[in-house]
Amino acid sequence: MLFSIMRNEWRTLLAERSLPAIGLLLALTIGYGIYNGQAWVSFMRESLAATQAEYAERTQKLQSDFLAYEAGSKKPVGFSDPRGASAVGGTSAVPYVALTPGPLAALSVGQSDLYPYYFKLSLRSKYLTLSNDEIENPVNLLSGRFDLAFVIVYLYPLLILALTYNLLSSEHEQGTLAMTLANPVTLKTLMAAKVLTRGLALTVLSLAILVVAIFGLTLTGNGVAWRLALWAVVMLVYGAFWFVLAVGINALGRNSSANALLLAGCWLCFALLVPALLNLASTAMYPVPSRVEMIQAMRNAGKEAQQRGSQTLARYFEDHPELAPAGGGRPDFASLSTAAQQEVDRQIQPILYRYEQQVSAQQILVDRFCYLSPAVLTQQALNDLAGTGIGAYRHFNQQADRFLKTWQDYFFPLIFARKLFVSAELASLPRYVEVPEPGSDIVRRVLLSLAGILVPTLVLTVWAIRRLNRYRLAA
Amino acid sequence: MISTIALKEITEMRRDDRFRWAGAVVLALLLVSLGIGWSSYRELERQHATAQQETRKNWLTQGQKSPHSAAHYGVYAFKPKMPLSLVDRGVDPYTGVAVWLEAHKQNDFRYRPAQDANSLARFGELTASTVLQTLVPLLIILFSFAAFTGERENGTLRQLLSLGVAPSALAAGKALGVAGALGLLLVPAAAVGSAAISLASGDLDSGRSILLGLFYLLYFAAFVGVSLAISAWVKSSRVALIALLGFWIFNCLIAPRAASDLSKRVYPTPSSFAFAKAMQVDLNNGLDPHAASQERAKELQARVLKQYKVDRIEDLPVSYAGLSLMAGEEHGDEVYDRHYARLWDQFERQVHLQDLIGLVSPLMSVRSLSMGLAGTDFQQHRHFATAAEQYRRYFIQEVNTDMVKNAIGKDYGYLRGNDLWGTVKEFRYTAPDLGWVLQQHRAALLLLCLWCLCGVALAYLATRRLRVE
Repeated sequence: MLFSIMRNEWRTLLAERSLPAIGLLLALTIGYGIYNGQAWVSFMRESLAATQAEYAERTQKLQSDFLAYEAGSKKPVGFSDPRGASAVGGTSAVPYVALTPGPLAALSVGQSDLYPYYFKLSLRSKYLTLSNDEIENPVNLLSGRFDLAFVIVYLYPLLILALTYNLLSSEHEQGTLAMTLANPVTLKTLMAAKVLTRGLALTVLSLAILVVAIFGLTLTGNGVAWRLALWAVVMLVYGAFWFVLAVGINALGRNSSANALLLAGCWLCFALLVPALLNLASTAMYPVPSRVEMIQAMRNAGKEAQQRGSQTLARYFEDHPELAPAGGGRPDFASLSTAAQQEVDRQIQPILYRYEQQVSAQQILVDRFCYLSPAVLTQQALNDLAGTGIGAYRHFNQQADRFLKTWQDYFFPLIFARKLFVSAELASLPRYVEVPEPGSDIVRRVLLSLAGILVPTLVLTVWAIRRLNRYRLAA
Repeated sequence: MISTIALKEITEMRRDDRFRWAGAVVLALLLVSLGIGWSSYRELERQHATAQQETRKNWLTQGQKSPHSAAHYGVYAFKPKMPLSLVDRGVDPYTGVAVWLEAHKQNDFRYRPAQDANSLARFGELTASTVLQTLVPLLIILFSFAAFTGERENGTLRQLLSLGVAPSALAAGKALGVAGALGLLLVPAAAVGSAAISLASGDLDSGRSILLGLFYLLYFAAFVGVSLAISAWVKSSRVALIALLGFWIFNCLIAPRAASDLSKRVYPTPSSFAFAKAMQVDLNNGLDPHAASQERAKELQARVLKQYKVDRIEDLPVSYAGLSLMAGEEHGDEVYDRHYARLWDQFERQVHLQDLIGLVSPLMSVRSLSMGLAGTDFQQHRHFATAAEQYRRYFIQEVNTDMVKNAIGKDYGYLRGNDLWGTVKEFRYTAPDLGWVLQQHRAALLLLCLWCLCGVALAYLATRRLRVE
């Protein structure tokens, strides 16, 4: 029985052209979204390749310069000795620390257009050195991007609602519902058939487009398979949520316009209002001060540390006796400025910490209340799978900070010891090895988000079935 | 007649729970967003004013040092906020808050506030402008999708037309009714908004505020017109609602993103790495391939020796180090002018192209104008960045000139005190006037007016064709 209704539904949907139209719209938007995301990821990859090429060229030249100094064919010239630890560790041999886009990065741009995805290291805190922000028109950042995640989070539910807002109401309005139910079929079977037909059509279509697009992208990298599988599950569950919601609203027995209004209202709440209000609440409760305060603190600390010059250095050695060079003597420029910079970094640490503190307090609030909106959960899950979410960037920043510490710990003693490097030592400088965020962390977060969508979907299913049981044709 | 129809519409809406609730929610959101906008504007303005004073104080009290060290120490420039930015934050979260002005370099703006945000920030912030641009149109759709189809479905359209009511009078009455219902929300909100702005700044920039209100009214009028037209055109309320929601989705969700992608494709911008590298190449080698830095140094030396008719640098009556710093700055300025102008012109072309998308999406037009009047559009960011860069060149020139005149023989060993720093004027920024802003957004203004006219015309045409069956 179910199948014969489904066959009938399928024919009707094809005949009234709504399914082909919506299918076409979905195909176009998905294709365009993936194409757009891919363009952005290629841009990032090219930038990263350019940084690597620059690094290779620079270190090669450094190596040949050093060989020339050692052979005596070239004199080390410059404001400070280019063989000195501060020149080598501060500029000439500094590596890049990069977050390579993950295998699914093209599917969700997430935060990747906003946060720096690579840093050129120096000996200073990365907040104080020059900016690595990608060049982007701020108007474009404001508008956001048209990627696959955008299609799934915002447009996919709307297309589902367009196919389902009048599941029952239209039959009721045309008077066909009573006739249909006069046959040996229950309302629940009828609804199941309608939902399954539409759901299967949309799911098969979107998965097919996804598969075609992904073969076109030739995704490679770590964990493509499980990421894609989870991606499809998130999409399915999120779609199911909207289907069930539409069934429940239909079961209330109102007319098609009222259904459309109610469903549009739900969409507006979940996709726009709840995220905006939650964001508003979190920023009102934990406001992040403007960075202008940090700039000022940095300037004041820098001025003081520089003015006190050798005092700063002396105090620095009191704190770090192991770094003090044996024998003493007049401190050189590199030691003085390194100590001064360290003093600034140390003084503004609490201020930097306050920014992080406020942002993470906001994020905790958001993490707690994001279950109010399946749209938010879906966006977060998709970002996590693409490696472009807050979690991925937090992980990357920790990695970058850790490597910076390694780099500083390696060079600071050498700067104070006035070490001059030789060519053979250049190859053994600390190297940055990118450790991708552990898959288990990602899976855990995605499963939590999934559960957050699944539970309300199940609750809605129970509610919708109960409403259907009470549905009165005469109503 | 028209007013009777309008009154009847308003009464009906006031009695309908759906409208009451939707209206109350939108009003509440508008008031909350104004309140939050007001408090964050005050806080930011205070922080910026303090920072601007402090950076000046730091400059004035840097003590004994070489003028060139002072130039390296530099100052920061912080973009002041306009009171209307509490209505529309525009691109401010996505541009850096400050720029460091120092010797040799034109820096980028740093610290984009959006980078200090939680994961929801990209879902869109609730500001008064978002409510006005996206939620109020939705309310208009809700108020008017059934204007004619509802009458048709209830069978009252036949009665109305049989009474001899002209369809255009009916349309005008319905439009007035929707306007009246909106007025119940927007008048108090506008009053609260202007109070907030005048409280925030001490004076209400009435020209800009009135225009801002007017532009939003044009936008709403376009929506009322389109909604009534569709409602008169189609057969059932259901179709009218779906068509209007489809238009809203295109207007608010798809158009801005598609416009930004399209403009990026048509006018691509370099990566920050490529941009910095190209600039560095020009800084090192000169714009003209014959003028690499060593060549330039030799040429400068020959020219200076000839000018002062001496044979050796040591015999010059001026500081050669100062002169070479000035020559370096001149060269740098040329390079920065060329590269930044190219980049920013490209951004502006993107923005102008996006303004043209206003042809199919009125949101693009009103957004552009709203940011313009609030002083938070890209063009005014560029205006400020240019002013800051001009100031950088001015103060570097001042300290270098002093060095040329007085550092003879001492060069970098020549030290100056706070008296010299005090002769450098403070950075004072004057925001562009209203005429300049409107000139920047003329395409948007034109298209918004066009949308409003089209909306009215469509409603008129659709109601003229109005048939009972």
